[in-house]
Formats: sequence, structure tokens, C-alpha cells
Amino acid sequence: MLFNSLGFFLFLPLVLAVHAVLPASRRWAWLLIASYAFYASFEPSGALYLAAVTLVIYGCGWGMGRSAHRPVRVALLSAGLVLVLGLLVTFKFYDFVAGEIERAGAALLAADTTFGLPRLGVAAPVGFSFYAFSGASYLIDVYVRRIAPERHGGHVALYTAFFPKILAGPIERATTFLPQVGAGLRIEPANLVAGLQLIGWGLFKKVVIADNLAPLVDRAFSIAAYASPIELLVAVYFFAFQIYCDFSGYTDIAIGVALMFGITLMENFRRPYLSHSTAEFWGGRWHISLGHWFRDYLYIPLGGSRTGRIRRYANLMSVFVVSGLWHAGLGYGVGWTFLVWGALNGFYQWIGLATAPLWRWLGDRLPRVSASTPLLVVRILVTFHLIAIAWIFFRAASVSEAVLILQKIAAGIGKIIALLPRYPFTAEHYLGFGLIALLIVIEILDERRSIWKRLAAAPLVLRWGVYYAAIFALLILGRWQAREFIYMQF
Amino acid sequence: MKSLLKSALVFAGIGLLLYGAVYYASERLVYRAGDSNPFFKIATTKDRIYDWVILGASHAMPLDFADFNVQMERETGLRILNLATPGTGPLYNRFVLERFLKRYRTRRVLYVLDSFAFYSAQWNEDRFADAKLLQRTPFNPALAWQFLRYSLNDGVQATAVLDYITGFSKINNRERFKPDIWEGENKFDRVARPSAAAGRKRIEYLYPEAVPDPAVFSRYLAVMETLIASARQDDARVVVIKMPVPARFYSQLPDEAAFDDAISQLFAAESVPFHDYSGEMDEPRFYFDTDHLNRAGLTAFFSRYLKTVLVGD
Repeated sequence: MLFNSLGFFLFLPLVLAVHAVLPASRRWAWLLIASYAFYASFEPSGALYLAAVTLVIYGCGWGMGRSAHRPVRVALLSAGLVLVLGLLVTFKFYDFVAGEIERAGAALLAADTTFGLPRLGVAAPVGFSFYAFSGASYLIDVYVRRIAPERHGGHVALYTAFFPKILAGPIERATTFLPQVGAGLRIEPANLVAGLQLIGWGLFKKVVIADNLAPLVDRAFSIAAYASPIELLVAVYFFAFQIYCDFSGYTDIAIGVALMFGITLMENFRRPYLSHSTAEFWGGRWHISLGHWFRDYLYIPLGGSRTGRIRRYANLMSVFVVSGLWHAGLGYGVGWTFLVWGALNGFYQWIGLATAPLWRWLGDRLPRVSASTPLLVVRILVTFHLIAIAWIFFRAASVSEAVLILQKIAAGIGKIIALLPRYPFTAEHYLGFGLIALLIVIEILDERRSIWKRLAAAPLVLRWGVYYAAIFALLILGRWQAREFIYMQF
Repeated sequence: MKSLLKSALVFAGIGLLLYGAVYYASERLVYRAGDSNPFFKIATTKDRIYDWVILGASHAMPLDFADFNVQMERETGLRILNLATPGTGPLYNRFVLERFLKRYRTRRVLYVLDSFAFYSAQWNEDRFADAKLLQRTPFNPALAWQFLRYSLNDGVQATAVLDYITGFSKINNRERFKPDIWEGENKFDRVARPSAAAGRKRIEYLYPEAVPDPAVFSRYLAVMETLIASARQDDARVVVIKMPVPARFYSQLPDEAAFDDAISQLFAAESVPFHDYSGEMDEPRFYFDTDHLNRAGLTAFFSRYLKTVLVGD
């Protein structure tokens, strides 16, 4: 039951209607039932994994709350993390690593010596990476006493299973989620309107923009060896916007749906392609909930930036490599590409860190130049292109294919301008360019002042005109074949 | 909350009006770009009585490519309407025939038989939900009712009915301005180079279930029987043929002999003439792809076999 399927459009009003008529104190139970039904609609056995993770974190959290002894608490935390994250790592990497070991073994051993390692042959249930991270954050927060262990098992279960966020986040913290559930879930008219706005905008990004770009991206990446540099270049640009609109579209729908039920989820995207640096991109604009998770539960425990220079560089790289591994998944296969993608982004941070004093020095000496619009635009464009280059590794089937794409684009870059007028762009290309242009305009406007505030202040005719335009764009231009969201596969 | 509800109702009301306008525009486009969809043909045909209505899947479609139908009519002096639809089995064809017979008459029905269409719901119940077909099917309340009946009685997905009634696929049609021409028609004058790999791929596509399920086969045999009955109810005689296919392609069809046996028994019991030409015309020059006759092939097939069936029957 994807967010962009008919099933969900029937499911949501039904769940909301029942939610509205129940007393506030019982709504959590209904949401929990609805969440498990939603999750089981993908794969019934997935509900068992979800229940297991919930039991583990509830049990370990409860145990940590009962014990004042550090060794016991450490043991419970470790047990919980090993079970939850260990299962995640096993699901993701066991078969891949076994295959790589066999391959390496075959290369090292004599040709006639073969050995085979057993395989799990089981894929992680959909969204597992997200609720495993939510569960891990709950355990750590209880351990460091950032929150008291939740006594109400049903509330903990809802925290892991809440259907708007279960497939692809945001990776909400128990510190913000559980108090909202505890306070009772109220339906407010303003939240309903805001929720519907977000759902509409999220659907537009997913079904109209991302899914219209996807076929052109898929085609170019599937024939990378034969595709022209222009085709590959267009695919690289399109993919940058496809993955953004796919993932942020999902998040907008998730936040909008949650809001309708009276739960505010954290912001996960803040116009990432308007970042002035890759540090800003990863630090506060792209997949914010994951970035904060890594910051709080990996980077800071490793020492963060309060260590020596070398350690700090190593910590940064560790975070990005682990982030790369986390992203390795079913969407584009488990492979070395994700490691390279993570390391490349880590390398960008190194460059940013190393050149930071220079930028500060320039800013002090030439404050007007460093704050000028042309320079900001250049910085935004450079950041975007660095991120787009990294996305090639994310999207390509293998590292060699990613390198080939980069080589072909680099080799043809000189001729691309001359060849552009003769390239047989199709209506789909023009639609893609138009939609990206529209998105950029909206994001620039939103950056200056929230688009929702602008809409709220606009005359009714304009406001409703925008809503109708979006709805009919969904109907006329949307691709409604319920293409999966990329990130729910991680 | 009350004012929100009031605003929501007004918003929905205006939205419905706008939807109606978009629906109307999409419907007009269906008529402007329509061509090969059987319901479009039924909705726009001028004659009330035909000598032959042709049903079947893609193997029957070349009979209406370019000017071939006109040519057949000229040479036989008969009125022929081709209502074949690619990738459709007996259930969809019965649906088409029933719709046709509601408004028009035909003396005979030529059913072009394909075994694949009897082995999977993909070519029958599921085919009704195909957006490509729905987006070219003009709206008609009687057809909507027929859709609903098929959904209740024959396992057609309710979403297909909903799609047809709301016109969603038409509104959402990405090829709304392009003429409704099946891709094969553009290759009608070509000659394909025989390719074992292409043939294998096509067989895998046509027969998604590697081992035919006897229960599924029985079900579609029964549907075929009801199709024959529907035609007879309106005094139309059914004639069944199998079109020629290259020998190499034919040899790869799964369990074709068993299919022929079972279907022959049905036709014998129903006294339906059955002409099997699948073993004829093996030369590659007669095909525009793995298994569809091109213009040269069809011309030869018509003069050697089909003309006799059409005129003589």
C-alpha cells in the first residue's frame, strides 16, 4: 500500500475517520492497529520483525530503567543494539559479503578448489533500516538518560510502527514522538489543512516530477556504455532531482499524514540544492533526521570536532562511510558503489574543512564579495555539481559503470554545447526540464519566505487556483503506476 | 470545523466541475486520435450490419493494418469489421462482441485463435485494467454497466471499472495527442530477420506461466463456449482460424498439440468450423517480427486461404 496507490487513498480517510470518533486516550491503539495493517500489506512477515524490534527495545529500555548498575545497563544497551542493528547488518550485507569472500577465495585458491558459504537469501523487510535506527536511538537515549524509559508498551510500539514514517522516515526520536502520543492525539482543522497541503505537494514531487524523470534516468543508466555524453549528462542531472523529489516527496506525505493525526514529525529536507556547501547540504538540508542521527549517535560519541585534527578528519570520514553502508540496499543493489559514494562525500567534507580557514579569511577581508549574490550562486552550483557527481556512484550498477559515465561525460564535455541543438530531445525531456525549473522557482521562493505562508496570505482565488493546478497536474501529468519510493527500499 | 467543512465542500464542488471539463476534453481527444480500439470502432462505425466481425489478439490485427481491410472488402464484396485487440483472450473478446451485438448485427464472427490467450488471467481479466486500452475506450453508460457486470460476475478488477467510469486513464493519457495505432502497424511492410532469442523472449512474454494450469485453461475454454453462445444468440455463426506462424516459433509454443486437441474437441462439439493454418507459410519474408504476418505474408495468406473462408463460409 504505497502512498501513491489507490489503496492508500482509501485507507487514509478510513483510518482518519475512525481516529476522529475515538476518545483521544484510545487513539494510539487504533493508530497502532492501522500501522501494523499498513505495514503487513507489503509483506505480512514484516510485521513479525517489527514486533520483534519493538519487544527488544521496550524490554531493554525497561531493564535499563529498572537498573542503576552501569554494567547491567551497558549489557542491556549492547544486547539491544546488537539485536536490532546486528539484524540490520546481517540482512543487508551477509549474502553480499559471503559472495565477495567466495570470489576472493576462488581467486586466491587453486582454480579447481571451490568453496561455498551458506546464504540467507532473505531480504530485509521494507523500511527495516528506518525503524531499526529509530529503535537504536530510543535505546541510546534511555541509556544516556535523555529520556525515561516509556512504560506504556503500546506507545513504544506506535513509535516504531507509526505508518506514515515506517517505510522511509523521518527517523523520529522518541524524545519528541512519545510526549505527543502521551499528550493525546487531537485532530485540529489547521493541521488537517496543513497536512493535506503537504500530501499534495509531496505527491506532486513524487508522481509528477520524480516519476516523470525516472524513465529517462533508467534508460540512460541501463545503456551507459552506449549512451551519448549528452544523454548521460541529462540523466545525471535528472537523477539528482528524481531522488530528491522521490525522497522528499515521500517525507512531505509522511509529515502531512502524521500532522492530520496530531503528530508533528521532524523536518527532513530543507531545499538541499540551495546549499552553499556540501557541509551545509549534509548537515542541515538533506535527510536531516539521518544526518542528526549520525551526528548524535556516531560522530559525537567518536569525539566529534572536539578532538585533534586527524581524529576529526577520521571521524568525519567514518560517519560518511557508515552512511554509505546504510544506504547500500535493495534499491540499486548492495555493492561497493555505496561505499565509494559515502567516501566521496566524506572527502568533500575534508576539502571543506581544509579550506574553511581560507574562506573565513576571505570573508573577513572581502565581506561584500563573499556575501554577494553571484558568489552565492556559484557556490550553490558548485555544491550541486559535487553532489550530482556523487549521486552517479549511488545510482550506477557498479563502480566501473560510474567511472565510465564520468569518463564519457568528461570526454564529451567540450563538444556538448555544440551538440546540444542537434540532440533529439523528446517531449519527455522538455517536460522534465520544465518541471525541474518549476521546482527550482518554488524552492527559491520558499527559501526567502515559506511557500505555505505565502499561500496563506494570498487571495482565495490565487490560493485555490494553485491547489487546483497542482491537483490537475497530478491527474494529467502524474505517473500513477505506483512506482516504489527509492528510499523505502533501504 | 464547520467553516472548514463548508470550504471543503465548495472546493470539492468547483473541483468536480473542473474535472468534468477535463473529462470532456479528454473524451473529445479519444475521438480525435482514436483508431484501433475496438470500442472506438464500435462507437464510430456507420454500418449497422456486417458480414464478418473479426476477433482475437495481435495475430488478427494485421488484417486491419493500413488499407488491408478495405482491400479484403473489395475483393470479397463483404463488409468486415476488425475488433481484434492485442494481447486479449476470450473473455475480453466476448466483452467486445457483446458490446457490438448490442447495437449492430453480424452474420459471422471470425475468431483468430491463440493458445497463450487461454493460459493466463493476464490476457483476460487483467487486460480490462490495462490503461492503454482504457485510455482509448470512449465512454458509454451502457458499456460502463457492462463493465460493472463483468466485474461482479467474471472477476474483472473493480479498479478497472472505476478507471473507466472516472475516465482517469484518458485524463492521464501521456499519448493523448498521438493516433491510437498499434506499434506493429508501423512495421507492416518490413521483413524481420529470424532471431531465436527474440522468439524465445516473445514466448516467455506470451506464456508467463511456464507450465499451463489446467484449471485456468478449462476456465477460458468455458468462456470461449459462452462467446460462441453469445454470437449464436444473435444469429452469428462463429468460424475459428489459427494464423500462420514461422515453424521455429510454432515449435517453441508450450504444449500446443494438447491445446489443439482440447480446442478441436470444443469446436467439434459446438459445430464450429476450425481452420488451422499455423503450419503454413514458414518463409521469413512473410513476417514483420517473430510471428506476425507482414503485408506480403498477409496478401499471400488472404489469397491462398482466408478469402475462401470469408467468401465460402
